[in-house]
Amino acid sequence: MRTQHFRHITSKWPAMDWFEIVSENFIDTGGRPMYFLDQVAERYPIAMHGVSLSVGSTDPVDFVFLDKLKALAKRVKARWLGDHVCWTGVAGLNGHDLYPVPYTEEGLRHMVSRVRIIQDYLEQPLVLENPSTYLTFAASSMPEEEFIARLAEEADCALLLDVNNVYVTCRNHDLDPVAYLEAIPVERVVQIHLAGHTDNGTHCIDTHDGRVVDAVWDLYARVMARAGGRATLLEWDADIPKFSVLQQEVRKAARFRSELREAAA
Amino acid sequence: MRAGTTLGLDTLERWMQAVVMHADGAEAGLRSRPARRLVAAAARDPSAVVLPSKQLGSLERIEIYAHMYYARLVEVMEAEYPTVRQLLGPRAFADACRRYVAKHPSRARLLNGLSASFPDFLARTLPRSHRHGLAVDIARIERAMEDVFDAPAATPMTAAEFAAVGERTRLAVNPALVLLELRYPANAYMNALRRGVRPRIPRPRASRVIVFRRGFQVLRREQDAEQFRLLKALVAGKPLAAAVRASMGRSTGNADRVARRLRGWFEEWAGSHLFVKGDAPRLQ
Repeated sequence: MRTQHFRHITSKWPAMDWFEIVSENFIDTGGRPMYFLDQVAERYPIAMHGVSLSVGSTDPVDFVFLDKLKALAKRVKARWLGDHVCWTGVAGLNGHDLYPVPYTEEGLRHMVSRVRIIQDYLEQPLVLENPSTYLTFAASSMPEEEFIARLAEEADCALLLDVNNVYVTCRNHDLDPVAYLEAIPVERVVQIHLAGHTDNGTHCIDTHDGRVVDAVWDLYARVMARAGGRATLLEWDADIPKFSVLQQEVRKAARFRSELREAAA
Repeated sequence: MRAGTTLGLDTLERWMQAVVMHADGAEAGLRSRPARRLVAAAARDPSAVVLPSKQLGSLERIEIYAHMYYARLVEVMEAEYPTVRQLLGPRAFADACRRYVAKHPSRARLLNGLSASFPDFLARTLPRSHRHGLAVDIARIERAMEDVFDAPAATPMTAAEFAAVGERTRLAVNPALVLLELRYPANAYMNALRRGVRPRIPRPRASRVIVFRRGFQVLRREQDAEQFRLLKALVAGKPLAAAVRASMGRSTGNADRVARRLRGWFEEWAGSHLFVKGDAPRLQ
């Protein structure tokens, strides 16, 4: 849910199953954003998706921030509360970006422990998303998909599978996205993200500024065939178009799911 | 075995942060003392820590993050300071933002406080000229607009509550109110720009501006010297009568005239929701 659409949503009340918010956009703010969010939360389920939890950081867990997340989750009766498999800063700094974790046994132990602490404190399962990544650490000893699968299993958390991120990451690391998807435990996946990206030829950047490309739709169809349908969100965070354009993409995702249901029947 | 294959999580995170946040780019970051202290081998060969892909070398892959770090934060500041950007020009503004971020990296989970000290930074670092002096004052107004936008909500006082106010009453001030004393007529300049006029850079002239939120609308307005002094005394928590005495002490004219002025100010402030019920939380 983006600022540009607040008025449209609260005047038209479009037929949407649910909305997602960037949690940080509604923390420590007392004006217009909360006024609109409260109205939307009265009528639609809300998923809280954050970018600053920094689960992979070696800094201490920030319980003050967790308190704020928890209060917001209670206020909007959040259906899901999540963030990314990443870190955003260390030594007290914040880069406000999703930095990749080295996929090592040490990294896994660290993240499992942090996810457990955070889930216990928030009193609800965390939904963690696979990030778009642009580099590979020489120290990594396992593929990202294995790291994420083991993290979900050992920390007993849920997953948000961002299909566009799978595509972007695999392009950037010369990997097979189909093999990546097959290694993800779909039973842990509660939510799917779709988005557009920028293809620079030598690498892709997860820009969320356009329509979903065909290759990502193909991957989405594979995931749906395997998972049998999941709550799906379209992300569009830059060059944001009219709400009707977003609805077209959301309807396209719904068509994929219904075609798969019909094929299975 | 590559040096980077045995590095611990904490070392890798601190190294990557030191490299991508370096003010002069990732290559300089690799050679910086903090990065070398963590992983000396990467200064000569970044592939010791970051593997190349088929298309990009190790340094190019790190540079993606280094570029995004500054690009994202400059973009945030461009949205917060549109008039300052217009006044300085896009390149000079982006350069100032980069220098600011390098000097004041974010320490918060949220981005809304990132540029809190940007106006003071500009005041310290911009050359001395009327254009730059005006830019500093406009930065103070635009920063205040950000703070006021995010300030806690409060319920404005009703007319009946105003009628019941006594001499010793300490009025609760809207947390979404910032008072600014400026060297230039910055608010008038911003208003002219908004009307589509391209005004000349003004000479210094002291101005007093309030930035506040009425409902969800962020507004700014110039105040005259006495009006501002009274509002400042009320914001400081002085009882009504003491605030009036302190701020109107030098005022000349008969009592009726003073009373009329005061009534006019309070009507304006009440209509702007500057006073609220109870003990409202304060804007930090």
